[in-house]
Amino acid sequence: MSFRKAKALLSAENLRFTVIVTALTVLAAITFFLNLFTGSADISIGEALHVLFGGGEGTTAASVLLKIRLPRTLAAMLLGGALALSGYLLQTFFHNPIAGPFVLGVSSGAKLTVALMMIFAISRFHTIHSATMILAAFAGSMLSLGFVLAISQRVGRMSMLVVCGVMIGYICSAVTDFVVTFADNADIVNLHNWSRGTFSGTTMDNIRTMLLVVVLASGGTFLLSKPISAYQLGESYAQNLGVNVRRLRAALILLSGLLSACVAAFAGPVSFVGIAVPHIIRRLFRTSKPMILIPACFLGGSVFCMLCDMIARTAFAPTELSISTVTALFGAPVVIAAMIQRRRDGE
Amino acid sequence: MTRQESLIAAEDLSVGYREPLIEHIDFAVHDGEILTLIGPNGSGKSTILKTLAGNLKQHHGTVYIENSPAHALTPNERARKRSVLLTERPRQSFMTCREMVEMGRYPYTGHFGILSPIDQAAVQAAIQLVQMEDFAGQSITAISDGQRQRVLLARAICQEPEILILDEPTSYLDIHHKILFLEILRKLAAEKHMAIIVSMHELDFAEKIADYVLCVKDGDIFRHGKPEDIFRGDLLRQLFDIPPDLYAKYLT
Repeated sequence: MSFRKAKALLSAENLRFTVIVTALTVLAAITFFLNLFTGSADISIGEALHVLFGGGEGTTAASVLLKIRLPRTLAAMLLGGALALSGYLLQTFFHNPIAGPFVLGVSSGAKLTVALMMIFAISRFHTIHSATMILAAFAGSMLSLGFVLAISQRVGRMSMLVVCGVMIGYICSAVTDFVVTFADNADIVNLHNWSRGTFSGTTMDNIRTMLLVVVLASGGTFLLSKPISAYQLGESYAQNLGVNVRRLRAALILLSGLLSACVAAFAGPVSFVGIAVPHIIRRLFRTSKPMILIPACFLGGSVFCMLCDMIARTAFAPTELSISTVTALFGAPVVIAAMIQRRRDGE
Repeated sequence: MTRQESLIAAEDLSVGYREPLIEHIDFAVHDGEILTLIGPNGSGKSTILKTLAGNLKQHHGTVYIENSPAHALTPNERARKRSVLLTERPRQSFMTCREMVEMGRYPYTGHFGILSPIDQAAVQAAIQLVQMEDFAGQSITAISDGQRQRVLLARAICQEPEILILDEPTSYLDIHHKILFLEILRKLAAEKHMAIIVSMHELDFAEKIADYVLCVKDGDIFRHGKPEDIFRGDLLRQLFDIPPDLYAKYLT
């Protein structure tokens, strides 16, 4: 292939990336507005648009839209992206496409510490700040991840690691259920919903904290695009290229833990998004370049979670499904496909 | 074998994981020279190479790069001077051969790793040198072992190193590809003035391309010297512990 031909191919690739990104962005916008316009309260599109552009103050429509649907949709958008990115980081870290915060028990670890923190804080102070919740979730994430890492040094095989992660997840969930069952408080209904995973109940105040954490962690991840690309070749090659491998590994774990902690704190456990979305995005873009995959995974996670949340809200309205019910339904088959693909690649 | 003008040298080096495995390693490789490591499996060739490549910390002694201790250079300086081809095979899906070669420009690019026209030209030259132009757009998982080794070599070359370290690069190649590969190494030493350190199992080829040979056996430098001195008499029989009757039957 001549140099010019290679350049032409390069721009063809760029064109393809641009088309897919545009399509995903349009899809994100459509799902965003669909989420705002659908629901059990009967609000016409015209009415909704009027409210969104600052009108209809004090009406029921305004309060439903601005206090319930808008924060909930924003939460699905931000946390969906965070979850997909958290999965991408863990897959990079373990050099394995079936690693993710849910299967490695990270989400459940975070769930446990958040539940404990909520019960403690509510019984003592009758209130809890969202930043405290994130901190508690982060501590839980790091605890389970530390556990998984300790095991990974003993068992070399990734399949065993995933089994251990799932077991840790079950243990944490069992303890959480136990704590939730015997906690005596009026807020327990809320806690019960949260422990099954949901984007409902998010306030605009939550969104501000969430936005800060997610933007910082995602931005930090994007800034690591270059060393991540070297790390994909293996630790020895990365080291030879001048990457401080130990520092990079620590950064991958911390960022991934922070992102999944943010999800656990506000939405509880949300399953399979972390594996399914990066897998779909890699297939769609047919590239391994982190500089493209990182923003694309975020975008993909946003679309996926907004769609799933819409289904969870509307499919059997007024009964609401937990978000994990829907994400598992669409996500788990993708995970199976990813495993088959991996086998075929001769891994 | 003087250290002063060498590109890479080891001085009283002792290597190993938890315990020192091989001690008192001394050598110096100059511009245009090829040092070959031979010896039985598990003798410690890879351990030496990992230490020279900076992936394993030595127990004692010093690795010199252009006569300054390797640890005195910054990681980026080291990356611009020393490049590797290891036994672990990166099998990144959705990565083309060209993208793999581009990774060699890592020490030269900016914060986001965007390639400049100079980088692009270096990538293209490296791909041409290993004669992989026709496969540049293919996935790294879709090509043969021989082709993949050449792509990985191109990656190492476009890092523009003075020192090239290769761990058994020809092991899984058929004889034609072995020869092609070694011919490229000779060319790199002669034309790009690299110092090359390579471990291999093919003794007949080692004899032909090496300027200097290090024989590693049971955690010890068994012999070292010029190939004409090493590949003589029954030194190989001793190095590999081959019974005399089998040696007579198969190797003479």
